[in-house]
Amino acid sequence: MFDRRTMFSGLAGVATGAMALLKSKKAEAANAAPSHLGFKGDVEVRGSTDRNERLPTLDLESQQDFLTGFRIWNQTSFRTLAPERMNQRLEERGIDPASNPSITAILDIADTDPVLGLAAHTWLNCQFFTWKTIQDHFHADADRYLDELEAADKLGPGTLELHPDMKLPDHTKHEIHIMPGGYVGDSLGGYMFHHGTNNFYTNKNNKDELHRVYANAVPLPADGVVKRVLDVGCTIGQMTVALKERFPEAEIWGIDAGAPMLRYGHMRAVDLGVEVHLAQRLAEDMKFEDNSFDIVTSYILHHEMPAEISKQHVREAFRVLRPGGVFFPIDFYTGSNKPSPLAHQKYRHFWDMRWNNEVWWDEYESLDLLGAMRAVGFEATENGPRAWIGSKNLLGIKPA
Amino acid sequence: MATTKHKADRPDYASDFIPSDVERGVFLGNPVLDNMMASMIALGTEVWSMRRRMKVLEAVLEEKGITKQMVEQYVPTAEQEAAWEKDRDRFIDLTYSPMLREGDLPISSTFTRKKK
Repeated sequence: MFDRRTMFSGLAGVATGAMALLKSKKAEAANAAPSHLGFKGDVEVRGSTDRNERLPTLDLESQQDFLTGFRIWNQTSFRTLAPERMNQRLEERGIDPASNPSITAILDIADTDPVLGLAAHTWLNCQFFTWKTIQDHFHADADRYLDELEAADKLGPGTLELHPDMKLPDHTKHEIHIMPGGYVGDSLGGYMFHHGTNNFYTNKNNKDELHRVYANAVPLPADGVVKRVLDVGCTIGQMTVALKERFPEAEIWGIDAGAPMLRYGHMRAVDLGVEVHLAQRLAEDMKFEDNSFDIVTSYILHHEMPAEISKQHVREAFRVLRPGGVFFPIDFYTGSNKPSPLAHQKYRHFWDMRWNNEVWWDEYESLDLLGAMRAVGFEATENGPRAWIGSKNLLGIKPA
Repeated sequence: MATTKHKADRPDYASDFIPSDVERGVFLGNPVLDNMMASMIALGTEVWSMRRRMKVLEAVLEEKGITKQMVEQYVPTAEQEAAWEKDRDRFIDLTYSPMLREGDLPISSTFTRKKK
């Protein structure tokens, strides 16, 4: 059985699973990943490797190298040790670890156990220093990178739509994953997100390999017609670009609340020469015309939103999809696909929510996303094709 | 707002945000221990960066004709040996002498002023 949060935190497992899927879908994924084209104003201090710009200094690259190694070390060292320790401490107190112990009993142990504390502390500080080292570099030379973003804002082949006066709802403003400023609050947040998540994916996504797997997993409408695709909560547009690679003739849109993410994503798409349209819009109020998309998808979006906003988004997705259109929200296990919670998993979920700022995790866990899809009219199943964690994914079809 | 320091007249498209409080978390039973562990991770980051730079330097030097073998087989002069040992001992003293402290006073202990 997978420990989904452990997998999420180190991603070694996810990456391995996804890479296996990538291999099995080799033919589908054969579309070539574009390399950098560059543009006037592009800042590439140390050049690029394939489609990834190198980090701007050797020291920053080495710092990320260390923290990636440290992340893997943490993951490997505590994967067995921490659950065993939790079980041992529960048994000492006469509690059967398999009896679904209360979170109160679990936290009572965690508060006083140095091994469990160390596992959490070292993971969180690895995360903290990953963000900090990147942020410190880009902030120290802010105008240079803001110049770079500005140079790309108006360039094509795609488009960028921002709304500086947009009133953002509070649920978009948290520092998810303790990234400084979150998705909305740091003008150079896109740089931080991209380089930080490369570390998070332990360098197994430097060429968007994982996003390409997920884009290739999206099912087609029954009639096979794909003219317009929407990627919701697209951040820096990695899956958006991958969707364009998969559907080169289609018009591909990505939306997100975070302008700093979109700006960086647009600049990267310009640099790659990929035509995607990125727009600052809300998942719960997308402002697209009715029946105007063939596919609406998202990658790990729903667990980063309040349950009520998820439901509103499902309603919006139904509205903007044309009859026969496909809704494919890729996220953690949902519905009956969830594994049984073990004691240490419950602890891991807790501190990920509380300390890694997975603010809406508990709401996501109790959300009946399949039910929400059916409630708005989707013909929905939880046995859609495998995309991310688990062997299957939720899938909704708007009735023709 | 985690705004960057940049020219005042340019839009930065950043909004206000709700900060996390992760730096207030105590995971090791004592905030000082937490801080020390965090410092150790930061120190590791810096030490590895330096070692990695050395590897790059060695690779560049090799391309320029100074081979790794030449570096490995380099024999310091007696003067260099003496200077490096001195520096090594300074490094060890700075790094490890705090381990020899014998702290035994609780934070609430009173301070006895010595009389002249």
